[in-house]
Amino acid sequence: MVELTNLSAFATGRRPASAAGVAPRVEVRGLTKHFGSVVAVDDLTFSVEPGMVTGFLGPNGAGKTTTFRMLLGLVSPTSGRALVNGVAYRDLPDPTRTVGAVLEASGFHPARTARNHLRSVAAVAGIDFARVDEVLELVGLGADAKRTVGGYSLGMRQRLELARALLGDPEVLILDEPANGLDPQGIAWIRGFLRWFASSGRVVFVSSHLLAEAAQTVDDVVILANGRLVGHGPLQQLLQGVTTTVRVRTPDAARLMSVLQARGPEAGRVRLEGRDTVVADGTKPEVVGPVIAENRIVVYEMTSTGESLEQLFFQMTEGGQMGGHPIGQTFGSVGAEGYTPLPSQEGSNEGESS
Amino acid sequence: MIRLLRAEVLKLRTIWSTWMILIITMVLTGGLGVVVGLAPHRHAVEALLYPARGTSRWFDLVLSTMTVSVDLALVLGIICVTGEYRHKTVTSMLLCEPKRGKMVVAKLLSSAGGGVAVGVAGGVTGLVLGFGLVAGGFGDSGRMLTEYRHVFPGVLAACVLYGIYGLGLGALLKNQVVALVVGLGVIAVVEPILDGVVPAVGRWLPGQAAEALESVAASANSRGGGGIFSNTTHLITWWEGALVLLAYGVVLAVAGTLTTLRADVT
Repeated sequence: MVELTNLSAFATGRRPASAAGVAPRVEVRGLTKHFGSVVAVDDLTFSVEPGMVTGFLGPNGAGKTTTFRMLLGLVSPTSGRALVNGVAYRDLPDPTRTVGAVLEASGFHPARTARNHLRSVAAVAGIDFARVDEVLELVGLGADAKRTVGGYSLGMRQRLELARALLGDPEVLILDEPANGLDPQGIAWIRGFLRWFASSGRVVFVSSHLLAEAAQTVDDVVILANGRLVGHGPLQQLLQGVTTTVRVRTPDAARLMSVLQARGPEAGRVRLEGRDTVVADGTKPEVVGPVIAENRIVVYEMTSTGESLEQLFFQMTEGGQMGGHPIGQTFGSVGAEGYTPLPSQEGSNEGESS
Repeated sequence: MIRLLRAEVLKLRTIWSTWMILIITMVLTGGLGVVVGLAPHRHAVEALLYPARGTSRWFDLVLSTMTVSVDLALVLGIICVTGEYRHKTVTSMLLCEPKRGKMVVAKLLSSAGGGVAVGVAGGVTGLVLGFGLVAGGFGDSGRMLTEYRHVFPGVLAACVLYGIYGLGLGALLKNQVVALVVGLGVIAVVEPILDGVVPAVGRWLPGQAAEALESVAASANSRGGGGIFSNTTHLITWWEGALVLLAYGVVLAVAGTLTTLRADVT
């Protein structure tokens, strides 16, 4: 089993962030991309600040990956600009030392070893080969460095991508679904790593569809739907605007409904679900709880949902319908646990254990 | 540019395709050389047409099997750039070096280097073959080396230029299978037909240009006839051939850089 190493190993060799005295920064201005008649990204403007982890959220097909690729000079914008430290990626004097990026669908030659893959990248950037072994150790691939990537599991490939991104000890990390294929241990490690990385004054911009996971990691969020910006700001601040839903299972449902309705708008929209569950949308447990106590109503169960990233996400993306499947169903099960292994995880353990 | 070149060489060195191409070059050169030189004649006419074993013309014929290297240099050049797209390593490459023109120049140079490697592999095999035949009692080493010196430089030069040509073709077409089919198909199918129908055009095509380059021996030897079964008199001169091949490679690579490689990498 591969183990991810402690961050201290990485920290010894790192340069201080913003070596030039200027804080690293990512920004997009009026960024738009059309693929034929499809508008993938529509007039996006936002900036990502250093010193915190910024989440980039949105349903599949919202335009996150296209935005990332425009930031990295791989896709040309139809209009607008995507800037890193004030310049386009293609104009960065030393891109590998400025930005580290993990992208989906970035490839490896299957017959090349992990170490040689990274060496070919290090050679372009003029990075010492010793650094290759250092980052491989960091992501827990030290023992597998001489294996060809063709035999790697999805999770191992994801680690290798992360190692590549870290080669230049960059000021900015741009990560597209970095948790894909990682086991829970790996996901937890990534979370810690991103926090540590950001705390050193660097930029972390990370996309994720695992909302519960993202909620534990990010400080700021940029939320995208159908290529448009629908929300941007500190997560806590955005969450304050989120309405919650309180569910109460009680044998006295009819009475609870009437007393809640009597309470007025503060108690939200009240309805009955099944025979014994009262649901109040747009309120808080702090409102419903005292009402129950005052009226001495027996309660079997009381839960509240909301003030969560999921709730925020649903509200901002209007349910985030994608391919006929409500996003809520996808994320609902994830929210209950700390993290739920992705389906692709099944295959990933084979390679790692060998 | 030095860094890019270093990376390109490392990449070529660390994939099996490169080594397979070198091995195939050696096996084909050696194997064909033995067959061409020593296979029994099937009938009297063939025996009449064939030069006597051990003669200069026989060595010329046997050593001309080194020209298979040229097609394999083309394959290496094509793989050099299309492999990046096939395995999607182009993304990590462009993240390190976002200026695509620089990437293509580095690849042009490394493909030329790959061509040298393939040419040398064929050349070394040819030399071993030649000495082997001499040791086997056919002719003498002086005669063999004289013919070798006539054939090898043209083959090596054609390998370098075909590496560049392959790179250009790959840069333009991007798809590995399509580029290989087009590259080899033009040489094997299109050119012979076109050359037969419109020789004035055909002789300016890559395959014929390479043949002109490989026929340095013929010009240098002042024998006019070149190979035994091929008539080289209709070919352009060797230096025209070299320039034409270089032009094919560079024009295709520039076209590829301006079109295909400028496209979005999604």
